[in-house]
Amino acid sequence: MATVEKDQIELDGELIDEATLKEIDAMKGAGQWSIVWRRLKKDKMGMFGLYIVIFLILMAITSWLLLMYDNWLTNAELIFGNPENPLSLNNLYVELWFPGMEKTSPLVLFNHPEYSFSDQVKLPPSITHPFGTDGIGQDLFSRMFFGSTVSLALGFIGQMMTVVIGTVLGSLAGYYGGLIDDIVQRAVELLYSMPGFILIIFIIVLFEDVNIPGGRYAVVVIFLSLISWGGVALIVRSNFFSLKQQDFVEAEKALGASDMRIIFKHILPNSLAPLIIIITLGIAGTIFLFAALAFYGFGDPNAVSWGDDLNKWQNSLVEYPWMPMFPAMMIFFTVLGFNILGDALRDALDPRLKD
Amino acid sequence: MSLKGFILRRTIYIVPVMIGITLMNFTLINVAPGDPVLVRLGLIKCENPDCYNAAYNKEAIEMGLLDNDFYTIPWLSRYVDFLSGIANFDLGRSWYYTQAGEGIPISQIIKEKAPYTITLNVLSFVLSLLLAGAIGVVSATRQNSFWDRSLTIAMLLGYSMPLFWLAKLIMLVSFYLFDFTGVANKNAFRKPLFLNPEYYKFLILPTLALTLGGLVFMARLVRSQLLEILRQDYITTAKAKGLDNRAVIYKHAFRNGLLPIVTIIGSSLPGLLAGSVMVESVFGWPGLGTVFLEAALFRDFPLLMAINTIFPLMFLIARLLTDITYVFIDPRIKY
Repeated sequence: MATVEKDQIELDGELIDEATLKEIDAMKGAGQWSIVWRRLKKDKMGMFGLYIVIFLILMAITSWLLLMYDNWLTNAELIFGNPENPLSLNNLYVELWFPGMEKTSPLVLFNHPEYSFSDQVKLPPSITHPFGTDGIGQDLFSRMFFGSTVSLALGFIGQMMTVVIGTVLGSLAGYYGGLIDDIVQRAVELLYSMPGFILIIFIIVLFEDVNIPGGRYAVVVIFLSLISWGGVALIVRSNFFSLKQQDFVEAEKALGASDMRIIFKHILPNSLAPLIIIITLGIAGTIFLFAALAFYGFGDPNAVSWGDDLNKWQNSLVEYPWMPMFPAMMIFFTVLGFNILGDALRDALDPRLKD
Repeated sequence: MSLKGFILRRTIYIVPVMIGITLMNFTLINVAPGDPVLVRLGLIKCENPDCYNAAYNKEAIEMGLLDNDFYTIPWLSRYVDFLSGIANFDLGRSWYYTQAGEGIPISQIIKEKAPYTITLNVLSFVLSLLLAGAIGVVSATRQNSFWDRSLTIAMLLGYSMPLFWLAKLIMLVSFYLFDFTGVANKNAFRKPLFLNPEYYKFLILPTLALTLGGLVFMARLVRSQLLEILRQDYITTAKAKGLDNRAVIYKHAFRNGLLPIVTIIGSSLPGLLAGSVMVESVFGWPGLGTVFLEAALFRDFPLLMAINTIFPLMFLIARLLTDITYVFIDPRIKY
């Protein structure tokens, strides 16, 4: 490759400085994703959102592992627990002991989310209970920590199922067109005319008696994905319309590739960028929807999740502000993190949209 | 085609969509597990199974599930009955809202409650549109200034704040500042409604919450639309021929930015309606949203069905209106 003198490069009459040159050099031969990652890294807000999201995901995974398997460390025989003795399934505390501390009183990090201190009801935030205790003496800090599992998992699973259904239907409609496209479009129109929040409440009320593993929230997740795939399908469909005319699809067809191969191996990877944006922003929306459902009493009162805690203590806002405030704050920061990250990803994946 | 023909066609188009929606709701209610007759019967006290069966049959006949000879009425004919009921504005009787031992007709409940929802929604929709326009213009014309940055961050924070919690916080702040929680009481709804000063007093906080909810969504949209348009060539031309900034923004940029904004707002109306359900129930505003949530909590199936029909209808009409406004915004569009 020919080398160019640095001071010879001019762009719009401005000399390019050394940093930009290095940047251009690094971009040479880089794949799409490394370029996206570079753009994202420069976006300070976006990185802030990414840190929030990573922190929350780590928190959700850690709390799930602690709750399910913490006695792997203490008692190897109880790997799968003893269903008849609930106490054998879980320890009641997560403790931390440093050399120099008394062995009988280690630092208690988290309590079991269902464990209530009957003598420590409605305590304001303090050192032993950083977020205070709620009306039945449960430590709110622990409940926020362990509640992240359900809250985040519902957002992820709900959005993933929505995206999968929407992508499949949208790509079929976009690739084949004709009758399939008509049917999908009419269905989307129908589902779009209903306010989703109202329709999902209607469905929860109707299907509350269904017994499937996972309880009430599993029913909600399934129906949520069945009614909210429309937006994804429309975007994937329009992407397919523009991509299926391109030369690489022609070439692939000439080589004799099957339709499924063209759809899933060639066109879909090329329309991944909008999907990633939809997933990130959609997770925020789904978490918000589940919080709203729980807030209005359509959640699962036995689940440990932020929305259900918020529902339980929403009327104590004036007397005991910390009780509803911390669950609400957790929901707020989660939605904020995913929204910021989604916006930053949109700017990074498609710079034309950037303000 | 003329505008009249377009409006007529779009109005007729509402009918098949509504049939699809009612069909979906009706199918859902029919495939749902559990016996609605049992829900309706509740905890009836009976000494022997005969009395119980008689009560069950009587209830089932009343609900239209069995005919007078105790034969099950087929699904399709029940659906046709339901549709003809809707066509005659007869939506059946509520299970939960009762008067003198009999359910209140649902059409009466809706006639009573709809004005509250409509005032609240229209008022906050107009307010949030105006404010969003102002904020969008301020942000877009002074891009990356202090005002733009702080407004963008405020919009992002508001966008991430759950609407129901925003409503609760507004309530809390108002309680500490003015000792007024805004939870509606009987005084607020004494007739005549529109001459009652109390009514407007209690309207303030729900409107504020709902306006903020819509505002944060729309302001982001207006800003990004305007920014995109301000970069176009014809804006440069307008500036080059010596127009002042105000004329460039309001005459050239704003009108062209309106079309995509109206499109997206039109398609996001169901979200705004859902927002009104959330806000209404927090403030105890006796509109359709509160009625819907109460009906859902007390498993009032006929009322749920009715509101599930009314809300899409309201949305479809609102979308028809947005489609018609296109014509006035963009003279290029001809029907």
